[in-house]
Amino acid sequence: MKQVGNKNEAFSLKTRLKRLKRDSNRWSVFTLAIVFFLALPIIFIGVELFSGPGETWSHIVRYLLPEYIGNSLYLVFLCSILVLILGVSSAWLVSRFNFPLRQQMEWLLILPLAIPSYIVGYAYAGIFDYGGSMNLLFRQLNLDFIRIDIMNRAGLAFVLSISLFPYVYVSARAFFLNQANNLLEASKMLGVGEGKTFFRLMLPLARPAIVAGLVLVLMEVLNDYGAASYYGVNTFTTGIFRSWFSLEEPETAVYLSALLILIIFALILFEKWQVRKVKFSSSKTNSTQIQRKRPKKSMQWLIFSVVFLPVFLGFVLPVTQLIYWAVLTASTVFDMQFLIISLQSFGIAITSAIITVFFALLLIYFSKWSTLLSIKNIARVGVLGYAIPGAVIAIGIMIPTLALDKWLIKMFGNFGIDSGLIINGTLIALLYAYAVRFLAVAYNPIESTALKVDSSIPDSSKVLGVGNLKTFFKIEFPLIKTGVFSAVILVFIDVMKELPLTLILKPYHIDTLAVKAFEYASDEMVMEASIPSLFIIFTAMIPVIFLNKLLIKK
Amino acid sequence: MKRFVLAMAAFALLAACGNDNKKKDNSTEKEMVKDQVVNVYTHRHYEPDQNIFRMFEEKTGIKVKVINASADELIQKMKMEGKQSPADVLITVDAGRLSRAKDQGLLQSIESNILENAIPKHLQDEDNQWFGLTKRARIIAYSKDRVKPEDLSTYEDLVNPKWKGKILVRSSSNIYNQSLMASIIANNGEEAAKSWAEGIVANMARSPKGSDRDQVKAVVAGEGDLAIVNSYYIGKMLNSPDPEEVKTAKQIGLFFPNQEDRGTHINVSGAGVAKYAPNRANAILFIEYLISEEAQKVFTDANYEYPILESVEPVQDIKDWGDFKEDNLELNKLGENNKKAVLIFDETSWK
Repeated sequence: MKQVGNKNEAFSLKTRLKRLKRDSNRWSVFTLAIVFFLALPIIFIGVELFSGPGETWSHIVRYLLPEYIGNSLYLVFLCSILVLILGVSSAWLVSRFNFPLRQQMEWLLILPLAIPSYIVGYAYAGIFDYGGSMNLLFRQLNLDFIRIDIMNRAGLAFVLSISLFPYVYVSARAFFLNQANNLLEASKMLGVGEGKTFFRLMLPLARPAIVAGLVLVLMEVLNDYGAASYYGVNTFTTGIFRSWFSLEEPETAVYLSALLILIIFALILFEKWQVRKVKFSSSKTNSTQIQRKRPKKSMQWLIFSVVFLPVFLGFVLPVTQLIYWAVLTASTVFDMQFLIISLQSFGIAITSAIITVFFALLLIYFSKWSTLLSIKNIARVGVLGYAIPGAVIAIGIMIPTLALDKWLIKMFGNFGIDSGLIINGTLIALLYAYAVRFLAVAYNPIESTALKVDSSIPDSSKVLGVGNLKTFFKIEFPLIKTGVFSAVILVFIDVMKELPLTLILKPYHIDTLAVKAFEYASDEMVMEASIPSLFIIFTAMIPVIFLNKLLIKK
Repeated sequence: MKRFVLAMAAFALLAACGNDNKKKDNSTEKEMVKDQVVNVYTHRHYEPDQNIFRMFEEKTGIKVKVINASADELIQKMKMEGKQSPADVLITVDAGRLSRAKDQGLLQSIESNILENAIPKHLQDEDNQWFGLTKRARIIAYSKDRVKPEDLSTYEDLVNPKWKGKILVRSSSNIYNQSLMASIIANNGEEAAKSWAEGIVANMARSPKGSDRDQVKAVVAGEGDLAIVNSYYIGKMLNSPDPEEVKTAKQIGLFFPNQEDRGTHINVSGAGVAKYAPNRANAILFIEYLISEEAQKVFTDANYEYPILESVEPVQDIKDWGDFKEDNLELNKLGENNKKAVLIFDETSWK
């Protein structure tokens, strides 16, 4: 079904255009309009590509590019391994076995998502620092000749993995919980052992879900600026900042962004390709829940420790460090303003989450209803924003919106009204930017649940003469509800943590917790940054726990 | 569950409306009392600054509205906003960025006798487009146990092979390092600057990482003997809420290099009025307030910077370090040489 595009190659351009016209319907046009809207900032950045790189391009290729590529690939490689080990093992163990505190573990494992990775980075640097907790502990034990240096690229890979593995955990567990039972029973009846069932059956079948989570992780890894620059690891993203701001060459920064986008594009194509090979759909999204095994007591505690380790490293340890700093600095930092800022952050995050998910739904379903099949690939362009550093998106948004603003000012000027900037410096630009940046976060969970809906159900509804929209609301939406709500929550958390884009586009009268934390941290007041960081964590924790309830209910 | 979703959605709506209302309030407010605002783009993310802003509001009734971001990002933002930019004042933590903003036509000349007289000549722009607010020195923090201060002399001497594996310094993407390098280019020329950078890289104790504070900690931890750092971070460490940090800071000595020749490299945090400032008069009042005695006192007492106003005494911790000779290089040179500095860093693989 997805291979139609290839056959077209035999036709000449003219026939192809004709076919294009014949095959498209109004949904195709709508899809294109939305993709265009979401890709606009990226297009504007892309247009700059044609003006060529700046004069330092050859300098960058000679002195910096090898390091950027080397470090970025190193991070992608090491993070993939770590994240897969942490995410898949914990997802399987909590889904398959009973052990003490299993239910608590289910949601505790998502919590590391609530901490921005740059803050995890600060916390770990603080722990292993001279005079830090680990150092003091070693001093007590008279072992203070041991110093663990975490501020290098291996340390960075560890920090990023430990704070991002829940993306893989969430998608893998959703699969194990909802889809695995029938297969497990079949496997048991055939007398296949536990290990073999996991490695030979579950792992290959869960691959699309796992890889979808992994792609999100890798995009975040490639996009990270805060932790990488603090740990002194030069990557594509730090390079973009360096050439844009230190070398004052936006053209060069755009070239680097374009290279980064190519890498991300390759990742996305890889994901598409590997999902294609495993076509798997079930009409019963709420098929029977997985049956849990109850192993021996000692085994149970072993499982518990394996599952608790990532929670400890990704949440308990950094949060403890933050709380210690918070206690030290509370008197100087904390005031009522924090509550107001927290509420503002919360309001912005939830609003943009709903808007972003709305766009994701439009994109997924319009392209589905479109008769033009190749449009699905075009729709994918809309999710590219996640791969692009926030600061670059912010600039990409400012170019078209400022032009629009100037036009509006001129129009209003004709009527003698001085309107000022209408879009820039207001929430509109900020929410637009969040939608562009986080569409992928909303798109992936919705799409993966939508894929699981057997297409025969909506098809039969349509055969009966029910329209697309009505079919969607009556039949499809209830089936993909879990995916939609997961999407809302994931975007919410990402917006809570977002920094560079918010810094550039936020309106005057609004502050977010991430901005507040950054203000401290960027002035080397990491300790003072702990209180706003904790506020982010606790505000993001509530929906994380809610997300878990949602996944279990199904 | 449904109810929770509904509640969340309702809250979101409320929050959105709340924001909208606020926006309207602000715009009507602006129209009614148009002159009573000053929009500040600042790279100074310091808590004490907020107190100064509040003091200014109380004194003048002019509301201070702030956008915080790095100077580079703020300059990009102002460039794109062009004539529509709401910015009245740009504040940076580095003179190089101010002169860069000037070169890109983002600032305007202003007439102010107060600023003219209070600020030393070399710490303000000759066209009156920007003015220094506070000073910081880029100094050498050394291990009291392992280094005799007599062995230290100049920045140039740090490339001496006797310091092999001893020098700690942060990444070259840091603005203070870029300005130090720019000052060396301005003083010694490009060739000499490049071989200086090569010498420093060869003497580094480790690959650059972390903040200035981290370099100081690394000296005490024994990873190296010398750290090139900004003076006010030492002040902050000495007054840190973390007792371990205070202990650490007390274990190092401070050395002001190049006292026998041009003086120690200093940089300013400074401000300028934006080219298209909608509230120009307020902007001037605001900058004048920042160099008033009470504001300068906050800068030094709470943020451990050197006040630019000579009548204000530096805070005790700073005074203890003693007087020193400053490099009187014209600070616009830092901006002019910034790009060259970054290129040299790359070529010598100073990360």
